[in-house]
Amino acid sequence: TSQPLPPKEKTLFNRILKCYEQKQYKNGLKFAKQILSNPKFAEHGETLAMKGLTLNCTGKKEEAYELVKRGLKNDLKSHVCWHVYGLLQRSDKKYDEAIKCYRNALRWDKENLHILRDLSMLQVHMRDIEGYRETRHALLQLKPGQRAPWIGYAIANHLLKDYTVAFKVLEEFGKTQQNDYYLFDEEMVYEHSELLLYQNYILQEAGLFQQAIEHLETNKEKIVDKLSWLEYKGDLCVKLERLEEAEKIFTSLVNRNPENHSYYQKLESVIKPSNEVERLQIYDAVSAIFPKADSPKSLPLTFLTGPMFQERVDKIMREQLKRGVPPLFVSLKPLYKEQEKVKCIGEIAEQFIRSLEANSKFSPDDEEIEPPTTLLWARFFYAQHLDKIKEYEKALQLINESLEHTPTLIELHVLKAKVLKHLGDTAGAVASMDEAQSLDTADRFINCKCAAYMIRNDMISDAEETAAKFTRENVSIDEYLKEMQCMWYEVACASAHSRANRYGEALKKCHEVDKHFTEIIEDQFDFHQYCMRKMTLRSYVKMLKLEDSLRSHRFYFQAAKAAIKVYIHLHDEPYQPGDRIQDEKESSMSNAELKKLRNKQRRQERKKAAAEERKKNEQHDKSGKKNHTDTILINPSFCNFCQISNPLEQAQKFLAPLELYCSGKFETHYLAFQIAERRGTLLVMLRALLRAQKVAKESDMPNLHVCRVRFAKK
Amino acid sequence: MGQIKGVRIELGGITQHNIKQLKRLNQYIFPVSYNDKFYKDVLEVGELAKLAYFNDVVVGAVCCRVDVHDGVRHLYIMTLGCLAMYRRHGIGSVLLEHVFKIAKSQGNFHSIFLHVQINNDSAINFYKHFGFEIVETKEHYYKRIEPSDAYVLEKRLIPEKSA
Repeated sequence: TSQPLPPKEKTLFNRILKCYEQKQYKNGLKFAKQILSNPKFAEHGETLAMKGLTLNCTGKKEEAYELVKRGLKNDLKSHVCWHVYGLLQRSDKKYDEAIKCYRNALRWDKENLHILRDLSMLQVHMRDIEGYRETRHALLQLKPGQRAPWIGYAIANHLLKDYTVAFKVLEEFGKTQQNDYYLFDEEMVYEHSELLLYQNYILQEAGLFQQAIEHLETNKEKIVDKLSWLEYKGDLCVKLERLEEAEKIFTSLVNRNPENHSYYQKLESVIKPSNEVERLQIYDAVSAIFPKADSPKSLPLTFLTGPMFQERVDKIMREQLKRGVPPLFVSLKPLYKEQEKVKCIGEIAEQFIRSLEANSKFSPDDEEIEPPTTLLWARFFYAQHLDKIKEYEKALQLINESLEHTPTLIELHVLKAKVLKHLGDTAGAVASMDEAQSLDTADRFINCKCAAYMIRNDMISDAEETAAKFTRENVSIDEYLKEMQCMWYEVACASAHSRANRYGEALKKCHEVDKHFTEIIEDQFDFHQYCMRKMTLRSYVKMLKLEDSLRSHRFYFQAAKAAIKVYIHLHDEPYQPGDRIQDEKESSMSNAELKKLRNKQRRQERKKAAAEERKKNEQHDKSGKKNHTDTILINPSFCNFCQISNPLEQAQKFLAPLELYCSGKFETHYLAFQIAERRGTLLVMLRALLRAQKVAKESDMPNLHVCRVRFAKK
Repeated sequence: MGQIKGVRIELGGITQHNIKQLKRLNQYIFPVSYNDKFYKDVLEVGELAKLAYFNDVVVGAVCCRVDVHDGVRHLYIMTLGCLAMYRRHGIGSVLLEHVFKIAKSQGNFHSIFLHVQINNDSAINFYKHFGFEIVETKEHYYKRIEPSDAYVLEKRLIPEKSA
């Protein structure tokens, strides 16, 4: 710093720092005032900066920035000023700027631990891994006695794929730990175990399988997560071709958990059965030990054929229909890709029904008599089967017959709604779903389904009313579901608005989904420090990988698709402010009815606004801090979304992550083609067309053909 | 009845969340329709009204109320029945046994009684089997169905000896 303080003022300044750490902002400001009211120090940079930082915590953001910048200008060589400026930027999530400030701060104080730590967090968050490694290295050299610098440096190397360095660092770190220390402390035992497993994970990623397996053996006692130990060892044995050992391990894993499908896959890859019978033996052996386990019974259905398949599936269907298992169809659905099996299952179900109707038995020469519920579930299953093979009318008939006998079965109403949906009768589907949810109003799942069906039928206000039964009082539905990041709802609404030509509202919902993804990426910030403390390093590294490609998730895909389509439409037919789009209900009403409706809507808007004001005031009272993010607009001017000058630019923004993460989907390239077409960029069009061709399926062929023609015409 | 394996009959409470199931049942089982007050009262009587679950499916129900006449308490069965496909599986018996249990535990009931359409032979036999007797015939009891006459079936309970 170029403005050193005399002892009295220095003490005051240290008090300001303490007050800031202890969140005693009023006192901090008092001390700052004492320094600054002295004309000699009225422009003392560091004090001004600290005053600004303190003010920022009380919500006075603009003043805070002014003061901090003023302080910085007065004392450009002060690492404190730069650090404070960095903290300010970070609190506003301007991470790139914050990193720059921290780097400047470090120029004046290379060995400031605080700054180095803060910087490292930001660097890993922004995925500046090289920078992260540098910073971690500096920290390690300064504080080799602390745990975090070692771990951080190792992680940095791991992320940069410098596996040998990462492993060695952790080995050295392990040596500095007192060995018998952790025998007395459960938490330390667990942490050490996690550290060892992380090391092993690094070795596996490096491809050093022999070393990894030896590492596992040496540390067998210290690793308390026995399941992970077994799984790692099993995989490594496979990679090292130690097949007999692998078989033993996977067998013991299956005995631990006979429902984990991956264990069976691995067993098969190790045992290498030569035909169906041998394959079946593996599963039957497990069934013998665990007769109630589902997986060993149902998994063989995927590879069995002919009479063996028939025998097995018949047995399973009998068991589950007798037990009354509603999702029997769901578990057999994967088999419906093979026509033979579909036919077989259908015939079995038909026979069951006929026999049960005639004399309450699965087949005429059975001894056991079945209760009426068996027939009920058999009919339910067969109706789902008919629906799947597109015999909708038959399915509907069967469902209605069943409802005559058992009108109280909610699953039947839900199925009826689904079949009606497939037939295109969205209004009838809503009616059925509504009946279903009215029979059990405590069931949240049905409530959600009902809301979803209503949205599909463009009954958005009804959907809101339905959803309101399960959301918090005094908060508007939209706000609550936004807070809960309920993306299926937002995407469904966006599609519905889009269909009704309410483009502004559709875009608003799409942008909200996009914001959720930004928030989720943002949320990882605290974990950078937390995971290192808790040693949950494997999960941490996996989380980083997940966050890296977060927008590959289908919710983003759906929202982006909807948004891009709307923007393309807005490009083709620009929005006129005078357009007052009416929805179906409104266009069929008389003027008087319309006026009544508008009044009702205005009243509802006012109620909404009042509820939000109340909520804002509550938050204001609690923290004394104003809620800066998401200022709630009372009358959302959807026009803002529509009246933009360059909709294609916005569309491109939504498209970018799709091209990165969803390049296997036809729609990505189809949309890219349409945008490029309107921009007139022929090369981009061609590229999109070629990519689309590579991934197109049969159902995409019509659209592909259109693209080809349009390209040829250019 | 009773030879079939794997049959579970259980009784469950009636709440505002599932009351519509009761409405549907009554709609399909009985030729008489019940008004909103009936369902409002049902929510208040606690154990006196139950849904019957057959292998976890709602198929039947019973609704009673306390009837006080000249200072004497009677238990009146308003509805008791189950869906046609599930009859002759013991559900009616379970429901009626429950009524007996309640009558006994709550005590002070002189009798249990109910109305049955005079042509409903299976119902009459069912209640006779459990010790009910025809004590009266009410002409034109039912307003909209034929025959409109009803029998009153009653079962005297041994009154509790009070100190």
